[in-house]
Amino acid sequence: MASIINIKEECALQVRDFEFTYKGATAPSLKKITMPIAKNSITALIGPSGCGKTTLLRAFNRMHDLYPGNVYNGEIEFEGRNILTPKEDLIQLRTKIGMIFQKPTAFPMSIFDNVAYGLRLQGMKNKTELNDRVEKALKDAAIWKEVNDRLKQDANGLSGGQQQRLCIARAIAVEPEVLLFDEPTSALDPISTQGIEKLVIELKERVSIIIVTHNMQQAARVSDYTGFMYLGELIELGNTEDLFVTPKEKLTQEYITGKFG
Amino acid sequence: MTAVQKRILINKIALSFSTLSAIIALAFLFWILGVLVMKGMSALNWNIFIYEGAPPGYEQSGLKHALVGQLILVGLATGIGVPLGILAGTYLSEYGKNSKLAHTIRDISDIMMSAPSIVIGAFVYAVIVMPMGHFSAWAGAIALAIIMIPIILRTTDDMLQLVPGTLREAAFALGAPKYKVIKDVVYRGAKAGILTGVLLGIARVGGETAPLLFTSFNDNFFTTDLNSAMPSLTVTIFNYAISPYEDWQQLGWAAAFILSMFILGLNILGRVILFAGKRK
Amino acid sequence: MIDKIFFNFTRFSALLILVIVAWIFVVLFNHSLEAMHTFGLDFITQDEWAPNLGKFGAKAAIIGSVISTLLAMILAVPVAMGVAIFLSEIAHDKIKSFFGLSVELLAAIPSVIYGMWGLFYFVPIIRDTFGGMGIGLLAAGIVLAIMILPFMAAVTRDAMNTTPDILKESAYALGGTQWDVIKDVIIPYAKAGIIGSLILALGRAIGETMAVTFVMGNVHKVPGSILDPTTSIPVTLANEFTEADSSLYFSSLFGLALTLLVMSFVVIAIAKFYFLRKARRA
Repeated sequence: MASIINIKEECALQVRDFEFTYKGATAPSLKKITMPIAKNSITALIGPSGCGKTTLLRAFNRMHDLYPGNVYNGEIEFEGRNILTPKEDLIQLRTKIGMIFQKPTAFPMSIFDNVAYGLRLQGMKNKTELNDRVEKALKDAAIWKEVNDRLKQDANGLSGGQQQRLCIARAIAVEPEVLLFDEPTSALDPISTQGIEKLVIELKERVSIIIVTHNMQQAARVSDYTGFMYLGELIELGNTEDLFVTPKEKLTQEYITGKFG
Repeated sequence: MTAVQKRILINKIALSFSTLSAIIALAFLFWILGVLVMKGMSALNWNIFIYEGAPPGYEQSGLKHALVGQLILVGLATGIGVPLGILAGTYLSEYGKNSKLAHTIRDISDIMMSAPSIVIGAFVYAVIVMPMGHFSAWAGAIALAIIMIPIILRTTDDMLQLVPGTLREAAFALGAPKYKVIKDVVYRGAKAGILTGVLLGIARVGGETAPLLFTSFNDNFFTTDLNSAMPSLTVTIFNYAISPYEDWQQLGWAAAFILSMFILGLNILGRVILFAGKRK
Repeated sequence: MIDKIFFNFTRFSALLILVIVAWIFVVLFNHSLEAMHTFGLDFITQDEWAPNLGKFGAKAAIIGSVISTLLAMILAVPVAMGVAIFLSEIAHDKIKSFFGLSVELLAAIPSVIYGMWGLFYFVPIIRDTFGGMGIGLLAAGIVLAIMILPFMAAVTRDAMNTTPDILKESAYALGGTQWDVIKDVIIPYAKAGIIGSLILALGRAIGETMAVTFVMGNVHKVPGSILDPTTSIPVTLANEFTEADSSLYFSSLFGLALTLLVMSFVVIAIAKFYFLRKARRA
């Protein structure tokens, strides 16, 4: 069975026997996953293509609901309740659990409007308040210095790395509890990647972070805990250092040493 | 109401309006088809296929002339338009590709697809009917062909481009000359798509009335003389429907029904072929 | 050898399009010369169209064309946008295919049938509701709107579908509703394509003949109210081409045809080159 360590710290999320089946599929893509997500830490999900790490990530903010017909089974506990129930208020949930995508997804609007978008959705109208929150978010995303003189310009003028940091600013502006990163640097050059990784480490003071990455070295650099997934199952979850140096499961070891990709 | 609640309400209203629009569109479709089926089928009888047109009030009147005439006009137009359209599309995809000339031809062709068909009728009137001195099936067919060519050109161009370059290269590598590569590999690969384009092109010109109004004009009697005015289903519908005679109006509905079924049938057939071709 | 022949056949066919288009303009222009010399600009500004007096002012036809088309746009655009949104964002699977197919079928129905249906079923409704003859600008505008609706909905839906999924998901991930995503992400992203599609539909509507001929009235008078019978350029051409009996009459009709061709060509070209090109680059 899977080797999952006990996490002593408080948990932001707790996954229990979670099973996920895509619409029309004959077998589940995720098989009875149980794992804790520690608060104010970075948990990385690694594994070969198709292992289900992104599928699992997208369950945390119920992104799968956009495409009807998928089936959730089991529990994901957040703030004392199971967020997989049909009753769950998805709009509220998504303001507490944010997501950054594989490619920078700046909206077709100005830099300011991008960051303010989530705030405006929540009803914030006061100009001063908006200005303050946008500035704070841009500073926390380490991009304020580069854009403060062109906030009204279209966000598409920014470089890839800048756009991704803009998306991060946009996500943290609403002050979520959890941030989900879906291979956030896969479309970026090495220097921008470094910048994002540094930023993610800084952010864990404020939010709990789950990051999916196909780059093992990135997981090793950045995360506190690492979960290795294979064919829809969680094989092992442990302290990042321990998992990479002395993995408990044979499969984990084989993946880490490059026996399969 | 909180801002979030307000947004959710606006969302519901917007989505309802959108769904309502779709239902309205659907309602019109059913209304028109329903009317066609009701009035058309009640006017259908064997006489239609036996008799040609006659003055109003005659018992023995039918649509034989219009049905045959329509087939002649569309058939002739297809014979002229399809080869030219396919050849032109072949040029664009296989030879011209991304050249300035090719892009210009594509752009002009696109514009022609949306241009008024009655203007084409006027053009053909000036260059064929006037010199000939009278209406003719040739004029009508050529007008229809001019409308058809851009459609066939576009679909052929698009479909041929979908054939992977590696297939062509494999054929060249075996020493095949270009025209053979096109004939044996590219055309074969795009067969379903080209056929669909042809069917849709026929469906489009088969329903045209305006370009025929003063090129093939119309005739109440059966004829197969290509040098004279040629009856067509579409113009007959126009003439009969707008007349004050009830029996002519009845025939008009029958004609409308037959025409619609034929055209919708071609459309569905075209899409089925494309779908089946994709599945492979 | 055969290669060369084949190549030349294809190139000839392709060039034929350009030749035909240019030829159309030239022919129409030549045949309008007589009217242009006789009337000059009066051709467009005068509204007296009296064939037996040899007077041909196209103002009524032009205004009829413009107003009926604008009316059709006002009616069709909101509904078409609604249908496009429904098809691209709201409907799923079977419902989507069913509605999608219905829209395509509506688009395939020949225009002469729209006209006939309009005459026998819509005109009485207008007559009963508003009085008058029922035939006129309003009827034409409505029938025209129903005619261009399917095309407009289809191309607008295609424009909206170019929006990348992760862009939409990003907005949902911030807690947006479907309408939020449509108005803040999809429409701004696909703006050029949407506007281009609408203008393209406008270009088609201007040239529509048969749907409108049945219900417009063919009266060469600038309409005083929306219920007045009037005429449009295509309607005039359809009804009078075979009745023209003098070279001046013919020349005036060719002048109308040229005017119509230029108008629709310009509108379609604007849609294509300005808006739809931008969309493709994005």
